[in-house]
Amino acid sequence: MTGAGPDRSRPTRVLVHVGAPKTGTSFVQDVLWLNRELLAEQGILYPADRFDEHFLAALDLLELQWGGLEAQAVGAWDRLAARVREWEGTVVVSHEILATASRQQVRRALESFGDAEVHVVLSARDLVRQIPAEWQENVKHRRTLGYRDFLDTIMDESRTTELASWFWGVQEVPDVLDRWGGTLPDDRVHLVTVPKPGAPRDLLWHRFESVLGLQSLGLAPVTTRANPSLGVPETALLRRINARVNDGVLVGDDYRQLVRELLAHRTLSERTSSPRLGLPDDVRRWAVELSAAWIDLLSGRGYDVVGSLDELRPDPPGEGAAFSDPDRPDEAAVADAAVLSVVTLLGEASRLQQSERRLQTELEATYQELERSRGPWFRVKRRLVLAADDHRLAAVGLQVYRSLRGRSSRSA
Amino acid sequence: MSGRAVTSRPAGYREAAWSWTQHLRSAGSTPWPAWTGDPGQPVPGDWAVPGAAQLELVRRLAERSELDVRSFARLADLVLNRSGPGRGLAQQPLAWPGATTSFGPPPTDPGEVPLEELVRVGVGALTELLLAAPQAAVAPTSVRRRLLTRTPAFELDGSPVTTSAVRRALARAGHVEGGRAPRAVIVVEPVDQALFQAWSARAQAGAAVRWRGFAHRWAARRLLPPSADLPALARQWADRVGADNVHLVVVPTPRSAAALVGDALGLDLAPSRGVRLAGPPPVLPLSPAAVDVVRRVNAVLDVRVPGPRRAGRRRALAAMLAAFREGTGQTLTVPPPLRDWAREQGQRAVEELTSAGYPVHGRLAGAVPRFQGLAWHPSRAEALDLVVQACLTVAGPSPEGGAS
Repeated sequence: MTGAGPDRSRPTRVLVHVGAPKTGTSFVQDVLWLNRELLAEQGILYPADRFDEHFLAALDLLELQWGGLEAQAVGAWDRLAARVREWEGTVVVSHEILATASRQQVRRALESFGDAEVHVVLSARDLVRQIPAEWQENVKHRRTLGYRDFLDTIMDESRTTELASWFWGVQEVPDVLDRWGGTLPDDRVHLVTVPKPGAPRDLLWHRFESVLGLQSLGLAPVTTRANPSLGVPETALLRRINARVNDGVLVGDDYRQLVRELLAHRTLSERTSSPRLGLPDDVRRWAVELSAAWIDLLSGRGYDVVGSLDELRPDPPGEGAAFSDPDRPDEAAVADAAVLSVVTLLGEASRLQQSERRLQTELEATYQELERSRGPWFRVKRRLVLAADDHRLAAVGLQVYRSLRGRSSRSA
Repeated sequence: MSGRAVTSRPAGYREAAWSWTQHLRSAGSTPWPAWTGDPGQPVPGDWAVPGAAQLELVRRLAERSELDVRSFARLADLVLNRSGPGRGLAQQPLAWPGATTSFGPPPTDPGEVPLEELVRVGVGALTELLLAAPQAAVAPTSVRRRLLTRTPAFELDGSPVTTSAVRRALARAGHVEGGRAPRAVIVVEPVDQALFQAWSARAQAGAAVRWRGFAHRWAARRLLPPSADLPALARQWADRVGADNVHLVVVPTPRSAAALVGDALGLDLAPSRGVRLAGPPPVLPLSPAAVDVVRRVNAVLDVRVPGPRRAGRRRALAAMLAAFREGTGQTLTVPPPLRDWAREQGQRAVEELTSAGYPVHGRLAGAVPRFQGLAWHPSRAEALDLVVQACLTVAGPSPEGGAS
């Protein structure tokens, strides 16, 4: 490491960016990850040796299973916290699922940072954009629940389902700030609002720069990890695929690679002319009222708002913008998306077949090399084993050998 | 913590919640709606009201507790200060007359908290207790077949729970598998029971999969786990020892299995003097609720400790749940949408095994599931009962006198 390095004269300052999902979090994390060495030179630590390190730490803190990834998460939070405590300067921790942490988990997280000055950052976007995005994320994570059922579930005030608990756990701005910031002075609780559509492209990044103290660094806001949204027919298709591949057809990593990455992110998201997902009128009205109540409540708090609370107020629907229902999609558009998916998967199958042929050739060459390196006694034994398929005497000899060699003890 | 989520509470809420919490910590079990305790106790400023699920679980623990006051308070604090692992419901505040909330989960009577949530919170606490408990040394249970023995050569195969129990019963009588040119004995049970045993064995080996997911995955593949695929097992043994030496022993109930296998092999099952078996068998006969508890704890262990540290805790838990002997002999059948598939699998097995001409002891039709009278998912109430018992057992004083 070169340059200024950590500032040993200042106490550690930790900025914990806890969400919310679909508010530019992946973008911020990728910029921080790609620039972590430059940041460290400036005394700002983004403690990660792999891009998903903070995700693993969050899984550990929340004790969450995540398609097998949790096995890599054992002890990840404590390791992250140890790096935070060792640093003298600014540290940024960021993952959107942290938003759902319970009060006990928040307490554990904050205590793990020792005597560092902790700041909590929550980025937030208006509910009319967040609700469809959350359902789409659900679909991209194997869920098969229909859109209307999803909406009814989150609108049910009893919140007695796991889905509703998760949704509000990450999206209910006042509650997230209360859980994470309840023990902190209000000026250490930062709310970054996502600009309205049509705002300058870099505005959100500049807000993150400002709250994370990165303005002077001139980091390029470029990312290699996009989490693009899908159109209505594409999401409907994905939901139908989920219903067919769940229950064992595709296990965790195969689903992630083939469905989420290859189909959703790299193929279906390219169909940008498809209608975008919105809210039906009744849900929109409800979301607008709820947003107004939140804004009213948040304006009475002393939180540091980066942007404007007014940006949490949903825009009225555009002229002539009809709601496109993913539960009753345009079947021709779904069929088009399905054909594109089949073609993409055929291309992938072809690529894998070529790869398999190449590996087969390499394996055969390696095997021949191995054969040449083995002694004559091994080759004689091998010939005898092969001969046992055709010659009874050889087969009897092999059976005698195997029974002599076989197991002689068992566990009770 | 300020606990500002409840935005409007009439005076007395925090005081009542505090005094009720102290009542529960001292092993009191009065339900929240009936609580009229001393509201005048001073409440620490940084105290946050625990979640309704945590408080209700402590109340249920108190109802069953025979722990001393200090041990129970320690257990209560563990539950109150720990959220449930994984995904579940958000922590709810307590219902209180006149209270209104503008955000956060709605208040509730703790008695109304869903059982699933109580099980989740309890499993978190139980895992914590298991991780803190001293690890008992695991006695090896391997038994060696004697070189000179009158026991005919045999090998046993089939569902893991039944074969494990049979293997142990035979070993206790001095009969150990192995030997040259063995007779292969395959225990035949209804397909759904075999599938349940495969799930039980998987959970006891560390899997966290739910019963429904496990059954659906196999059905979606139109396959059975290797231990439940009787035609495939029989073919494999026939290739090794010849079809005439593959004996199918139909087991109407797992309890009768050892006697039936003994009869098929002509073995005397009277306990042998020279045999000492230490420790439990490798796969225990757990009730469906107990398997469910084990697999839930596995899910937490997976994210809490590295692999090598999980096995001992898992074994200790399974042995403890088996020792409770609640639901012994209970089993599960497959969910209704999978019944045609299970029936077809059973009928296919009967046809293939019959046409192959293996020696059969009993009626092969026993491989076809009957479904009647069987639950198709583990009972949450029973799982909660087991979690409560297990927490109280592990939190109890250690044999040396101190708390474990």
